[in-house]
This record gives sequence, C-alpha cells and structure tokens, in this order.
Amino acid sequence: MTPPPEQPATPEHSAVAGARASVTDADLLARHIGGDPQAFSEIVKRHRDRMWAVALRTLGDPDEAADAVQDAFMSAYRKADSFRGDAAVTTWLHRIVVNACLDRMRRKSVRPVADDELIEAAERDTQLPDQTAEREVSMEVTAALKLLPSDQRAALVLVDMMGYSVEDAASVLGVPAGTVKSRCARGRAKLAPILSHLRNRTDLTRVSSAKGAELRDG
Amino acid sequence: MTGDTHYDLEILAELAEGLLDDATARRVREHLAVCDPCGESLADLAAVREMLAAVPVPAMPLGVAMRIDRALADEPNPFASVPVGANGLSKLSLVPALDASAEVDSEELATVTPIRRGRRVWVATLGMAAAAAGVFGASVLASSLMSAPGGTLAEPPATSVSTPERSPQRTLAYTVRASGHNYTSRELSGPLVGYFGPEPGTGSNNDEQLDACVQDKANELDRPPIAVDRAQYNGSEATVMAFWEDQSLDKVRVVVVDDNCRELRQDGLATWN
Repeated sequence: MTPPPEQPATPEHSAVAGARASVTDADLLARHIGGDPQAFSEIVKRHRDRMWAVALRTLGDPDEAADAVQDAFMSAYRKADSFRGDAAVTTWLHRIVVNACLDRMRRKSVRPVADDELIEAAERDTQLPDQTAEREVSMEVTAALKLLPSDQRAALVLVDMMGYSVEDAASVLGVPAGTVKSRCARGRAKLAPILSHLRNRTDLTRVSSAKGAELRDG
Repeated sequence: MTGDTHYDLEILAELAEGLLDDATARRVREHLAVCDPCGESLADLAAVREMLAAVPVPAMPLGVAMRIDRALADEPNPFASVPVGANGLSKLSLVPALDASAEVDSEELATVTPIRRGRRVWVATLGMAAAAAGVFGASVLASSLMSAPGGTLAEPPATSVSTPERSPQRTLAYTVRASGHNYTSRELSGPLVGYFGPEPGTGSNNDEQLDACVQDKANELDRPPIAVDRAQYNGSEATVMAFWEDQSLDKVRVVVVDDNCRELRQDGLATWN
C-alpha cells in the first residue's frame, strides 16, 4: 500500500530511523518475531502518524483514537505471526487500526458529542493553520462526518481524507472495491447538503474538479 | 428526465464513481447538460471531496506516542525465545539501566505509572521516561517533570549544581531525544513540558556535531539548555533547543536550527508549564 505522494511518511527522517531506513517493514516484523526487542518500536515510529490520523478521523475523538491506536499496536505486537506476506505491512496495520475503531463505534453506539467538546478536541489535536476560515471548515467537516454510518465514514476517511486508492481502501476494509465506491458515493451524497454552504467561504470554489467538469460536459 | 424533475445526490454521486450502468449514465449526463441545479449538485459533491482532502492530517501527539511506547516496553516480546526471568529482570533490559550517578528514587518513579484510564494525563509517563533515559542531570529533570502532572505548580528545574557554570570547556548536561515530531510555530510557543520529556530508548547525546552546535548556542546565551529534541520544524529537519529565559516567570527561549546549526527561525519565547 503506497501512501499518497503529497503526504510522505515522515518518520523516515528521524535520526534513529535513518540508519534503518533501508530495512523494510516486513524485515522488521520478521525481526520482531525473531525476538528483536527494538524492531516493533521502529515499525510503530514509522507508521504512528498515519494510524493516528486514520483513527482520529474515523472516531472523531482524541481520547477514543488514542485508545484505539494503542489497542491496535498492542494487538499487532502480539499477533505479528498472523501477518501473511500477501499484503503490505501497512495494509495489515491499517486493517487492525480500522477494525479497532469500528469495534469501538459498535460497542459505544452513538455518543452525542457536545459542540464545545468538538471545539476543544479540534484545538487540542489538529495543527490547524491560523486562518479562521479554514479552521471553521475543518471543524464543520469533522462534525458532519460523525453523522455518517460508520462504514461510510471509514471509507471516506481512507479515500477522500487520507488519499488512498479505492483498491487499497478495499483491502484495508476487507470488502470489494465496488463496495468502497458505493459507500463513498452514499457518504458524499449525505455530506453535500450539510457542507454546501461552506463552498463559498473558502477558496475551494474552483473545485469544479477535472472529473466533475468532464462528467458535466460529457 | 428533464424539466422540473431532478436526480438526487446519490445517483449523481454514483455517476461520479462510475457505478451506474451505461444506459443510466447516459441519461443522467443528458439531463446534466441542460439542468443547472443538477450541475450545481454535482459541483457540491466534488466540493465534498475537496473539503475532506483539505482537512489537515495531524501528527500523533507526543503524549500518545510515549504512552504507546511505554505499553509496548512493558509487554514481553511474545516471540522471544529467552523466557522472562523469575525476577523479571529481562523485561528491564529493554530500557537502559538507570545511571547510578543520577539521584533518582526509582520507587517513587514507579508510582507514576501505570497511566490512569479515562481522561488520562499523558505527561505522567515523563517521570518514568526520564529515568529510563539515564541521562546526566536526570535527577534534576525528572523531579521537575514528575511534579508537573500532579497539577501542582511544578518547580522548574533548578540550575544544575553539578555543572560548573560559565566555563567555556564545561561539559554540558542536557537531555536529547529524537522524537522526529514535526513542530509548528504554535506548538513551540509552549507549554513545552509535554514535548521535551525524553522517551525510553533515546539515550544521551552522542553526536559530536550536534553537541558542538548546542555548545555554541549555550555559549551564546551563556546558559545550559534544558532539553534538546532532534525533530522537524514545519517539515524540515531541525534541532529544537530549550533554554531558560526566566525560570521564575516560566519563560523559555526556544532555538530552532538545521543540521548545519543555522537557525531556521528567530529565537522565540515559550512557556514551559
């Protein structure tokens, strides 16, 4: 699973990772299974930011997201031998994280979230630019996402927010690509009326994206 | 379908995803060619994608990262062939041994963990982490970090007594971590205590170039650093150093340099607690 180009995995740059940069994730996992006490923490270092982003977006709550990511990494640590080489390690990790999030959502049913809590969470945990317009948009998008059923939300987080291909999202979610597409389509259809008023408040107005224009103009 | 009837958003979204069969897709396109409101709706759908993509992707807060590191360090490797010794010592070997010279009461530190559930105080791991790093001056730093999470107004670290002051050849005592965290200007205006705690596994400084750079800055400012983090600043490799500006006012001077010791931004003032 390849991260989208505009968001390169950052931990590669850390001083510690530098020496290990040439070691693949699969090698590290093999070392962990071989008893190497440091190998798994290197995997965590490489991927924790993406896993955090996925969990925070899917759950919409930093405390829940922290618990979900911790559970997921612990579970991956213990069950590393369940990894089958037919998928990328990142796909396997994403799957564990997404499942941990979906489990949490199912167990908790829908917890109403107070506005001030949303604001607090957004201020605490997102590095928002100081422009208030962008900030408002981010918060409204985050709030609107919570209105979606969890399967649609998970699909939109992976495809539209994190920039993964439909195929990658499908293997993370363990469903056919067509299912991911239709979950995305239904999710976007629900979000459109909620978010349409934001279109003119940002520079996103020129979004008659290539695909949209192409579809409209035949 | 023309005139007053319109397609609903779901059909339009499915069109955009290529989910409609050819005949239906053609009909919808023909309608779109003559229907402005449906064209608007399609643009709304495209805008949803753009808005979702524009939400910033946050880095994992260091507190969460450290909590996960702790949890993993506490967990014996299930695949290790060497069984955990009866005294549990093999587990401890995952972290560097406590520096004997550091006057750290390890029993007192042990009470800081485990971390509370619920609304947890992530900073609470710092005390243990400081001990694990086995850095010089750990006693000073650890005690100050430990008092922070309790909500008591933390006594800022007293200037080290063991380090001779104002001697150009002195060996600086400071903690280095390599968080790799991508700092924003806003984060660097403080409070910094949650960011600068050493984490298990990163030892003291063994990089001569970095040491020379820290030494330079310390000489310039005529004071030792509180802590140093090898990280990023707005996406570039950076070393972030924190110096006391005025301890009684909780003011910290933050210096950000690149690998060649060039400052990436003007010194800034921040709060520690």
